[in-house]
Amino acid sequence: MNRELKIFLKHFCLLFLGLSMIFPFLWMAGASFKPNAEIEHLSLLPSEAHPDNYAIVLRQIPDPHTGQKLNLDFPKWYFNSFFVAAWVTSLQVLTSAMAAFAFSRLEWRGRDTVFLLYLGTMMVPSVVLMLPNYQVMVKLGLVNTYRGLILPMAFSAFGTFLLRQFMITLPRSYDEAAEIDGATPLQLFLDVILPLTRPGIVALAILTFLGNFQSFTWPLVMVKDDYLRTIPIGLLSFQTDYGQQTELIMAATVMNIVPLIALFIVMQRQLVSGIQLGGVKG
Amino acid sequence: MKRRQPLVVGLFLAPNLAGFLVFTLVPVALTFAGSFTNWSLRPALPLEFVGLQNYSRLIHDRSFYLYLYNTAYLMLALPLAIGGALFLAVLLHGNLNFRHARNRARATWASALVSALSAAALWFAGSENLACVVAALGALGTLGFALGSTAYRTTFYLPNFTAGAATILLWTQLYNPNVGLINQGIARVGGFFGVAVTGPGWLTSTRSLLGFLPWPEWFNNGGFGVGAREAIMLMGIWAAIGGNNLILFLAGLSNIPPELNEAAEIDGAGGWQRFRHITWPQLAPTTFFIVIISLIAGLQGGFEQARMMTNGGPAGTTTTLSYYIYLQGFERLDLGYGSAVAWMLFLLVFGLTALQWRRGARDGAD
Repeated sequence: MNRELKIFLKHFCLLFLGLSMIFPFLWMAGASFKPNAEIEHLSLLPSEAHPDNYAIVLRQIPDPHTGQKLNLDFPKWYFNSFFVAAWVTSLQVLTSAMAAFAFSRLEWRGRDTVFLLYLGTMMVPSVVLMLPNYQVMVKLGLVNTYRGLILPMAFSAFGTFLLRQFMITLPRSYDEAAEIDGATPLQLFLDVILPLTRPGIVALAILTFLGNFQSFTWPLVMVKDDYLRTIPIGLLSFQTDYGQQTELIMAATVMNIVPLIALFIVMQRQLVSGIQLGGVKG
Repeated sequence: MKRRQPLVVGLFLAPNLAGFLVFTLVPVALTFAGSFTNWSLRPALPLEFVGLQNYSRLIHDRSFYLYLYNTAYLMLALPLAIGGALFLAVLLHGNLNFRHARNRARATWASALVSALSAAALWFAGSENLACVVAALGALGTLGFALGSTAYRTTFYLPNFTAGAATILLWTQLYNPNVGLINQGIARVGGFFGVAVTGPGWLTSTRSLLGFLPWPEWFNNGGFGVGAREAIMLMGIWAAIGGNNLILFLAGLSNIPPELNEAAEIDGAGGWQRFRHITWPQLAPTTFFIVIISLIAGLQGGFEQARMMTNGGPAGTTTTLSYYIYLQGFERLDLGYGSAVAWMLFLLVFGLTALQWRRGARDGAD
């Protein structure tokens, strides 16, 4: 009984912490059903349900302020965010894993110095890098293109550092065993190290995908044309001459994050499913 | 393992290194060069080399020291955020299942029924908001008992989904000194004990927990208390505790071979002993990563909060270095000076990281 009580208490603590985390989401979901006049209230529920906000965002009915349908394309924003984030995630995981392998499992002169240089650049505030980076993109002719949104994000010192930390925990005996069996470095990478680093790779994929799906500053300077707008940039359309239409932002955000939460639930199961499927015993 | 050909190393590094050179190293070099010029976004101003002028201006800039102090002060929240995430990760990674399936079913049904009934009662009694909260708690409990840690992991990550507009708007309202939920709650608890308590001024106050120290006048110190900086720290801890650090710790915990814990359990090691001698050292590379990343992010932090919640105020007490760089570069269009501040910040981050790095290497994390 003692053990069962302990487990019950654990759940109890987690529940109350969870409630505080769920609160903004509840408020947002409630606010997405509020008319503009009630948006400032802290109350979770609107005085009466007002599902029009969703219909306005999806251009089913006209915006009451102007009497016209909004000039925007929510599904296209969604596609853009998804497309860019998926490309960035696959490229970043691939390049980071390869570099992390070179920084953790291969021995070469100057390895740690080059790695520190990588790390060093993470420390330059990103606010400052934005402008020179923009000029680089102008030179490469990539402003206002999908490639301009994807490529600069596809190489990250963060990902390399993260996966390196996971790879250095693996015992050296794996490499030696593979080498005795005559494996090439590529085989060692693909068949031994990558599968064993799965929790790290899944974690990096989750963080990269969600981070890029919602990234704001870089797309803000890159995107000029409507057809390239991602969701965070699209949400700016709700700041009109009539002030910020918070209720529409909330409706759009709810539609934005519900699929992301579903994706998160699927992905995070991979985080904890065991990786100890083989390897070296003892 | 010593006879790796340079070609192999080169092939593995090439993709990342190429992107890194173009998109990071070149811009970094550009800002470094820029910090010695009068680089400005005003088109009329011709670019000139000004030597160390930006740096000497920086040394005499009083606000720089205040903003440096603000940045460091906000970073005091980091140990709490990291420690909290580690605690949660261990809790969620451990066993959350009742031994008897019957107990699990009982808990699930009980939380569903009790919360549904009390929510309905509250709803008809007229407190609709409270009814929503109770219903949410009940739903979470039902899912938590039935699904275990999946339900909690998702819930704790929620603030990261609602980040930006929703979270900032909500917290600004919660922190309102007169009508905000937090101060109303404080007043109500005080009233229950028969004492009239006024809550802190939160985002409107220049007080801080270190306010009793004799800071120079230009620090705009409001004395000892809870003020805007504490409000931002509290919000930061709340958002960070279940976020990316938790994900990384969970991934790190899955990487620990279960045999280690099984063997220790057979040898009779208790929960704390297993944490101290297995989990903690095995987790060292992950912890090291999180500490370094948090240091870097902390020193560059405070930008969004300052921009969206406080405008850096009151009296500059929530302006951090990254917000200052933004103000100099993009509002006052003085990119040269902004770059100089950025490079000062960079030296700081680099020094701190190098220090951490040596400690990490000594503790065997490397």
